[in-house]
Amino acid sequence: MFTYLFRRILIGCLTLFLITMIVYALVRNMPGTPITQLIVSDPSRQISPENMEMLNKIYGLDKPWYEAYWIWLGNILQGDLGDSFKEHENVAVVIGRRIGPTLLLSITSLLLTYSLAIPMGLFSVVRRGKPDERILSTLLYMLYSVPSFVVGIGLLIVFYQHLGWFPPGFQSDDYDTFSFWGKCGDIASHMVLPVVCYTYGALASLSRFVKANMEEVIRQDYIRTARAKGVSGFNVIVHHAFRNTLIPFVTMIGLTLPGLLSGSIILEQIFDWPGMGQLFYRCISDRDYPVIMGMMLMFSILTLLGQLLADILYAVVDPRVTYN
Amino acid sequence: METEEIRSRGYWAETWLRFRRRKLAMLALGYVLFMGLVALFSPAIVGTKPVVCQYKGKIYFPCMGYFNARWENAIFFQDGIAQRYPVQLKEKDPESWAIYPLWYNDAMRRVVDDEMPGRPGNPSGDLGKPSWMNPFGTTFYGYDVAAIMIHGTRIALLVGFVSTGITAVIGIVLGAIAGYFGGWVDMLLSRLIELVMCIPTLVLILAFIAIVERPQIWHTMAIIGITGWPGIARLIRGEFIKLKQSEYVTAARALGTGQFRIIFRHILPNALSPVVVPISFGIAVAILIETGLSFLGIGASVSSASWGRVLSEGRANLSMWWLTFFPGLTIFLTVLAYNLIGEALQEATDPRLRGRE
Repeated sequence: MFTYLFRRILIGCLTLFLITMIVYALVRNMPGTPITQLIVSDPSRQISPENMEMLNKIYGLDKPWYEAYWIWLGNILQGDLGDSFKEHENVAVVIGRRIGPTLLLSITSLLLTYSLAIPMGLFSVVRRGKPDERILSTLLYMLYSVPSFVVGIGLLIVFYQHLGWFPPGFQSDDYDTFSFWGKCGDIASHMVLPVVCYTYGALASLSRFVKANMEEVIRQDYIRTARAKGVSGFNVIVHHAFRNTLIPFVTMIGLTLPGLLSGSIILEQIFDWPGMGQLFYRCISDRDYPVIMGMMLMFSILTLLGQLLADILYAVVDPRVTYN
Repeated sequence: METEEIRSRGYWAETWLRFRRRKLAMLALGYVLFMGLVALFSPAIVGTKPVVCQYKGKIYFPCMGYFNARWENAIFFQDGIAQRYPVQLKEKDPESWAIYPLWYNDAMRRVVDDEMPGRPGNPSGDLGKPSWMNPFGTTFYGYDVAAIMIHGTRIALLVGFVSTGITAVIGIVLGAIAGYFGGWVDMLLSRLIELVMCIPTLVLILAFIAIVERPQIWHTMAIIGITGWPGIARLIRGEFIKLKQSEYVTAARALGTGQFRIIFRHILPNALSPVVVPISFGIAVAILIETGLSFLGIGASVSSASWGRVLSEGRANLSMWWLTFFPGLTIFLTVLAYNLIGEALQEATDPRLRGRE
């Protein structure tokens, strides 16, 4: 097990090195630099060629990408992510500010998805082929095909434009004047629509996943034995059958890890949510290299960790799997 | 006496037979074919350029300009009538005649008053509610939404097929090489697969598109294609590892067949079945990515008619519900159709369900 872990981590570091190098080369070769993008966004700030040269020198933009990459890598190994060009703060601070809102959405919707999808999946196994199951499955299937950005705008039209219930954004303008509970309620009302958007698509795929796994288990002999013993229907489904479908879940949890933090660029754009997706979109168009690289590094580490975690958990829950 | 040769049905014929039994999937297939026809004939269905016209004694097809701006005959630009055919054709050449598309409207600009004699222009601002003249309404700048939907079909279908085609070709070739040769080739390609899987697709796409100075729809397609292949490569690799041990491959090798021929003629046709389903779902994903990108305003140039672009106008003008509803419905139906086809293919090719009649 230890040698396996060691090997995986070694390969992971190599992969990480390659990913960051490729992404660094990509972002540095995009046309424009942080400074030219600044002029594009604010034409009143013209910079003379001499000043431009000086600025390029200060920020290290005059060096070719491979040299700049080594400098960046050296700083990373010393724990320094660098400063954002746009916000003049450390990248860790910039990312830290955005991570809260994104986690708030993704964890809420993850909990909601699991607590709804598992009963739904079990329900459609028990009621297989009956009219109510057909209706539920068809509905879920159709939901699965609706793009989330269409639903997002549709929800905004109905619940914001017409009813005025749930506004976009993260907080109201007069947020600071509210009491503690007032603040909670304010954020909650802003959260409703994005959470619905994050949840419904995952709901369909997860409940199908539960159903597919259950259908395989429910044909096993030990289920028939349990029924023959006179175990109640609920107990058979939950304790005998469902518990045996948990292994694939474990791998899935590992793979959802990076998704929790990455946020959704399009949904955060629609709901004007100050999270990771919006930050990423913004820093790509601003050519804010340190922030792009910081976020990429984080996503890659999480993806690799998630895969590793999934493989290890797999061995933990299933004694037939060993890595020796 | 004549004997009739009895051949058992092949794999694909059997799959088609099983697929055909599913009513919904056949409906979805019909929808996709219908979209194909709409895309092919979009310039003849709606447009402001004549399908056929006679001008100064010659026959022209100006509507081809909708497929490619260069296919609109230069003579019309030289004579300065490229935007206003109905009035100016007659002015410049009284002898001329023209057959217009079924329905006079344009996806790329606003139709103004009396452009077609007697026809009022499109409403602009937030006045463009769906009406008889503009069944799906008009955008803020007075473009006809239905026309954009019809002309946007071309982009949606092209994106779906071209980018999934690229994905499939890259995935199949790399997967086949990795699986067949094994050893260090497999080692390298497997790392590459992991690498591409690790980088979020949208990040790769954003970075690639930013590199292209003036992105066109072809760039978007190519980029969606070259970022989506690892899944297919993995499946094909697995199949090749399994199949290269089989007797018919050993036999082919014993006969001295070249490696290229063994890979592509002997193993590949037998390894294709598991990737049919991901390809079908991949088309839906590609369409979603493209509409998402054009929603964000990335990718194809602003002037091209695209479903996602109407949606992004719908986000900016929430009171104009038709800008969200019609494109949203179209995207939903298209994605649903590909998903239904994928699902039916999955069941038609599932070996556990085959043979159960």
